[in-house]
Amino acid sequence: MQNIIAAEDRRRPGALLAAAREQFTAAVERGLGGRAAHARFSDHMDDLIRGLVASSLASSPVNMAVAALGGYGRRALSPHSDVDLLLVFAGDIGSAEEAFLKGVLHPLWDLGLTVGHQVRSLEDALTIEVDNPTFLLSQTDARLLAGSPALFAYVDRRGPSLTGEARERVIEALLRLTTARYDAFDDTIYQLEPDIREAPGGLRDIVAARLLASLAHDPAAIDEDHLEQAENFLLRVRGILHLAARRNSNILSHELQERVAERLHFPGADPTQRVEALMSRYFAHARTVARALETAVAQVTPTPQAPPVAAGTNIELAGGAIRFIDAARASTEPASWLGVFEAALDHGAAVAPETLALMDSRGRRYALADLLPSAEARHRFVQLLRPRRGLYAVLSAMHDCRLLERLITGFGRISGRMIRDFYHKYTVDEHTLLTVRGIERLVTTPAKRPRFAELLAGLRSPEWLVLALLLHDIGKWKDENHAEESARMAQVIFDELALDPEARHDVEFLIVQHLEMSRVTFRRDHSDARVIRQFADLVGTEPRLQMLCLLTLVDIGAVSPGTLTPWKEDLLWEVFVRAYNELTHGYGDSTIAAGEAALAALESGRPPDLAADELSHVLEGFPRRYLTSVEPAQIYRHVRLARDLHPDEVHLLLDRRGDAWELAVFALDKPHLFSNICGTLAFCGMDILRGSAMTSRSGLVLDIFQFVDGEQFFARNADGPARFETLLQDVVAGREDIAARLLRKEKGLLHRRTPVRVAPVIHIDNDQSPTYTVLELVAQDAPGLLHRVSRVVSGHGCEVDLVLISTEGNKAIDVFHLTQSAAKLPRPVSHALEVDLERLLEDAS
Amino acid sequence: MKLVMAIVRPAKIDDVTAALEKLDLPGLTVTEVRGHGRQKGHTVTYRGAEYDVNLLPKAMIETVVPTELVEPAVAAITAAARTGEVGDGRVFVIPVERSTNIRTGETD
Repeated sequence: MQNIIAAEDRRRPGALLAAAREQFTAAVERGLGGRAAHARFSDHMDDLIRGLVASSLASSPVNMAVAALGGYGRRALSPHSDVDLLLVFAGDIGSAEEAFLKGVLHPLWDLGLTVGHQVRSLEDALTIEVDNPTFLLSQTDARLLAGSPALFAYVDRRGPSLTGEARERVIEALLRLTTARYDAFDDTIYQLEPDIREAPGGLRDIVAARLLASLAHDPAAIDEDHLEQAENFLLRVRGILHLAARRNSNILSHELQERVAERLHFPGADPTQRVEALMSRYFAHARTVARALETAVAQVTPTPQAPPVAAGTNIELAGGAIRFIDAARASTEPASWLGVFEAALDHGAAVAPETLALMDSRGRRYALADLLPSAEARHRFVQLLRPRRGLYAVLSAMHDCRLLERLITGFGRISGRMIRDFYHKYTVDEHTLLTVRGIERLVTTPAKRPRFAELLAGLRSPEWLVLALLLHDIGKWKDENHAEESARMAQVIFDELALDPEARHDVEFLIVQHLEMSRVTFRRDHSDARVIRQFADLVGTEPRLQMLCLLTLVDIGAVSPGTLTPWKEDLLWEVFVRAYNELTHGYGDSTIAAGEAALAALESGRPPDLAADELSHVLEGFPRRYLTSVEPAQIYRHVRLARDLHPDEVHLLLDRRGDAWELAVFALDKPHLFSNICGTLAFCGMDILRGSAMTSRSGLVLDIFQFVDGEQFFARNADGPARFETLLQDVVAGREDIAARLLRKEKGLLHRRTPVRVAPVIHIDNDQSPTYTVLELVAQDAPGLLHRVSRVVSGHGCEVDLVLISTEGNKAIDVFHLTQSAAKLPRPVSHALEVDLERLLEDAS
Repeated sequence: MKLVMAIVRPAKIDDVTAALEKLDLPGLTVTEVRGHGRQKGHTVTYRGAEYDVNLLPKAMIETVVPTELVEPAVAAITAAARTGEVGDGRVFVIPVERSTNIRTGETD
């Protein structure tokens, strides 16, 4: 690199600047526009300014010091950077000083340079300008260019020389500016079109990390070698950006990414591959820089001195972070690593950088089976995904140390993956993690989006939603049909995590259909009832609808700041409510008919022991949602259950489903049947989570309940299920009066009644369905509530044709489809029913 | 020169913009808005409770067109946005005194 500028050019500022830029351009064109080229350009600028100072002094002699500030002070000036100067005078600023200033500044302005000049008398310069944090920070890089070294010494505020109040003020200013800067970029390094100076992981972070480390008197705390590499890379990129834009532009836009990738000789058969390689390198450096800043911030941020606390096997909370106690042992015990992240969530702490570094460096030795060696460990990993404060940070930490890509096969393929369009602002992996942050925020700040926060709070397995979010775009490593590819990749992950069938079914649905609710909301005319019906049929059940709605909400929110507007939220909510009402009120009129495709599909896959017409005989007349909400294998079991059914008897299936139980009961319809089943469950202390009841045209009744063994009836009695079945048979046959037994039990439990927190709502609708009167009831959940409500309903001579039951926390939400003599309820009956139900719920309170 | 301003259903944004693009207009603006017409909103029932929704989400599409293109633009919007149901929206035509290109300073 030629670093010599002709002597005569040195005398002419314009020629000097032009020659300096030419040299810089030549270096950039050879891909060498890094630290050294910036330093050379700064040196030329030094020459230029010293020349101007000398000639100005000749006509206006004053006692002064001229210093370079900020990036210029650090000799990292780019051709179109601002030239930041501090001009300090020994005395007050009079006419001689003003003449001197003109002699220096006017020629710089004439050259078209943007000059950031700070002019101070010595007296003023001695004051620490706490209300001007940007200037305060730029002073920490001050470098004397010309004038009096003694004068400069008074205002020298370079990092190591700072003590006392000045040091505190600088730290405070830097932390404040850094937080504001991070907020502006949504706190993430993974920008698709990053501002390489301002964005997290950019040049400003490098400066901040070094300054903080020096203020902490521990420069060795940060990895200076890697930081230098990152700085050199970013400066090389910056040089290209400045020359391309011919101004102080630091945005690595999609368009310029191609040019930078080519100029820096990134490998790849086509521009897309070269850009991917460039951005992959960028994100790696940005991660290094952000980590260095994090370490440096921790150095200057006082943490309460508390003794280490055990947080798991070989894991402790120490110095405000979760870390391994014995790193050597941890490196050979990968099964213990998950515990670090569980502890971080439990204690609300970050994972220590050295712990992440250990997992990063040793992780490649281990397979998934080493990390999650047992069914219990796999279950713990899925449970770790339950939304709560800190989940985004923990998953991001897992991703940063590349553990997430080992736990979720294929996640690494979307690491740093770029999507070029007008609206996405983040890489695919970061977009994915930001969706999880969106869910987390519904937990931590529910008041901001109360409607959606309530939906989330009502989910029984919100970890399935988070798993679906982590997987919904995993197929985006391919350019087309990403939802399909994500679903294909998810099958492998489901197997590896040994997910139970119900979870697989729902998570797969969410992945495959993750764009559908957005399409219906913003592209389809959802005021058209047919559109909503189609959508509701597709979704099938309320929990899925709730999850899909939340997924859609956070998926939009993670595209870029400002994409999720209140307007969009309202539209999404409108579609949710309409689909919810269709699922809960309108489903009864959509029944399974002979010859329809879904039934034919079931028939074609029927096991050999089922007769050809057996399926249609049993299922015809049941609501269609039965086919979408129940697995085929379970449907076949139900059909077998309906065989040889006699009046006054029930056939039942009782299955353990994780922490819950599922009961399927077939019986021939008779008065009080539903009420008696609910009463028997309540008598045995079962808390019903959700369920449904349906009646076929031939009078077959199928009731399905999911419940937890709240009073440990099954857990404490080995013959509990058998005793339950006997009792249920006796109750249905009329040999036992469950109402009386329940009343006696409830009297004994009165002291356990919890204060009512849910105001009861009763809504009877005769318009929604052409066939049924729909009774919707929301109330504080209580033992036996469903039994009491259904007895009141039956007491009014109403037939309970369909019921949907769900429990969300302490809230019971039940929807009954009722008829009387095969018609909707006459108005006097529905009115009387409403009055009695109101009385019942008031008494319950 | 006229400002053609249409209030349409959000789901009709794509259809309307596609119809206007066929007229080769220089540009258009889409804004998320809320409002109501004669129906003054509607009532929504969710989990048994009734809520009044007075201001409905709508989309406002604005384009400034030469006077001779006003009728084709209105016809294109109307055809693209119509479902035949209440709430299809409305099109307004407003005189424009002048427009200035900020970058070039050119004034029409």
